[in-house]
Amino acid sequence: MTDMNGRLPRGGDAAAAARRKHAGVTRRSLLASAALLFTASGAGAGVVTKVLPWKPNEAYPVTPVVPGGYLFFTAQEAAIVDAFVERLIPTDDLGMGARDAGVTTFIDRQLTGPYGGHDWLYMQGPFSDKPLPSQGLQSPLTPRQQYRSGLAALEAYCKANFGGRGFVELKADEQDKLIGAMEKGEAQFQGFSSRMLFSAIYANTMEGYFADPIYGGNRDMVGWKLVGFPGTRYDFRDVMAKPNQAYTLPPVGLQGRSAWGGR
Amino acid sequence: MRRVVNGGWAQLRHALLLLPLLASGAAAEPDNYVEIARGKALATAGDCITCHTANGGAPFAGGLALQTPFGAIMTPNITPDNVTGIGSWSADDFARAMHEGRRPGGSYLYPAFPYPYYSKVTRADLDAIYAYLRTLAPVTNAVNRSTLPFPFSIRQSMLGWNRLFFTPGVFVPDPKRSDEYNRGAYLVEGLGHCGACHTPFNSFGAAKTDHYLEGNQIDNWTAPNITNDMHAGLGKWSVDDIAHYLKTGQTATTLASGPMKDVIENSTSKMPDADLRAIAVYLKERGAAGSSPPAPLSASDPRMQAGEAIFADTCSACHTSNGGGVEHIFPKLAGNAIATQDDPASLIRIVIAGGRAAATNERPTGPAMPSLGFRLNDAQVAAVVTYVRNSFGNAASPVTADTVKALRGRVTGAAD
Repeated sequence: MTDMNGRLPRGGDAAAAARRKHAGVTRRSLLASAALLFTASGAGAGVVTKVLPWKPNEAYPVTPVVPGGYLFFTAQEAAIVDAFVERLIPTDDLGMGARDAGVTTFIDRQLTGPYGGHDWLYMQGPFSDKPLPSQGLQSPLTPRQQYRSGLAALEAYCKANFGGRGFVELKADEQDKLIGAMEKGEAQFQGFSSRMLFSAIYANTMEGYFADPIYGGNRDMVGWKLVGFPGTRYDFRDVMAKPNQAYTLPPVGLQGRSAWGGR
Repeated sequence: MRRVVNGGWAQLRHALLLLPLLASGAAAEPDNYVEIARGKALATAGDCITCHTANGGAPFAGGLALQTPFGAIMTPNITPDNVTGIGSWSADDFARAMHEGRRPGGSYLYPAFPYPYYSKVTRADLDAIYAYLRTLAPVTNAVNRSTLPFPFSIRQSMLGWNRLFFTPGVFVPDPKRSDEYNRGAYLVEGLGHCGACHTPFNSFGAAKTDHYLEGNQIDNWTAPNITNDMHAGLGKWSVDDIAHYLKTGQTATTLASGPMKDVIENSTSKMPDADLRAIAVYLKERGAAGSSPPAPLSASDPRMQAGEAIFADTCSACHTSNGGGVEHIFPKLAGNAIATQDDPASLIRIVIAGGRAAATNERPTGPAMPSLGFRLNDAQVAAVVTYVRNSFGNAASPVTADTVKALRGRVTGAAD
């Protein structure tokens, strides 16, 4: 079903839906929205002289993710993602793994936002069947569509190939073997690229485990502590001239750290 | 920029209209260019434009709401417009307003207009300012001059206020002091009206003359102690430091922000160096007064420990971990008098809302500090401010979360 690049064949339900949607963009509406863009940017134009603009209280803070419940995933999907990411970064003697660090919550909230719809990407094709490596993403499927269809395909594959058991019911070594087959594109899911699903979860797991805790994952900065990343610091003059000495400051997130006092 | 361009055209139009008059020799007044230029320089030293210009409004056309403890007062239009400005005022009318705080009809002006200071300005200087103001293009801008609530709306009550708190009289030089000192005194105590912000008020809004220039809180900013006090004042500043600060908006280790930014950009940066030096000499020589420094809080105090963590994570990248800052860009916090004023308002509000430094011809960058109010709660702001006030050799009273909460409410509401 997939080629070496793990791309989906054209013609799935989602792709058809996407094409129908694209057909709705008429020449007239495209010109109208282009005109609107010009008008909007023209109205905000200003000449900066002498000093850069500055306003008091100007800040663009992120709304912190509040853990608890899921906004995109069904309970069953969340359980599959929990089990999946726990195999990618398991809890072990180095500390908590991806599941306990909140990675499933991170992915859930990302899928709910603009990332989940690829809102910031050009998604109107044409999509190449044989893209050059430099041509990047070549699929009309948004991350939301990838997870919804991909997790369903994974579950169907497990039920069919593991005696009626779902992914969460597999033993750890069975899960590892299946994940490995998905990575290589060898697991043949019905109607979906196993490699595409693997790639999405793999990338999002690393993002969730190492992104700022404000986005729902990397609980207690566990990922940063694991690799020794100092967090949202941006000046190291105090330590630059001290090679081969330990860096002692603990990591800090956008919301600070416990030593700042209660929030 | 548009305002300036329009003003230029307006002046050109006036010049063209005047042309036939001049050509026919009908100009009755003597050539008073020197007088007008002198008046312009004096108006600059008095910084009339900052209060008498609304945000985005025409210069000198009034309409800025001055926030006082008694309510907002709208500054009047002082362009020579006959109806809405002071076009119908004579030189005597103008001098009376400046010297006595009275309008031509005799009604009272509020001392938000600092006539207790202007009373010291010589009549010759007032006439020059009057001559300059007459050259401005008249702007029609009616200002609501009755915004104070009852009972402060009764202007006649200023009669009693004046009896209690106003000592009229032109400046008298001290013959035992240098000419430079006396020039500085004349500027600071008179036209410069420095004490209007830098001297604490009593409950009637009058200057506490026994605490002259010892600092005050104005519009949620700290107007610091500018006596020669070593702890809270200018004791660590040289005459050159002060003159340089007034000219450029900064010393190597300090940047002006808040209302002083406007004062420097509109007024002192355009004043003659000799006058700035005279002001500095006066401030350094007239004496020191201020509260004695408390013992610094112990580094083991929980507020200090939280503050140290916040400072290391949030502030030290620019202000450096030892509070040394970076010259001309990031103010030095060690020994910074703003950090150790009794009143922590400026320190708190700059952390919450951010701040922008003055931009002058000599130092045009105008560095800015970002707002951190989104990131730090009231207790955390209190902790980091308390830490700054009690580290790097600084010592000042700790700041409570309640103080931060009250100020946050005031500085995050309306833009300023």
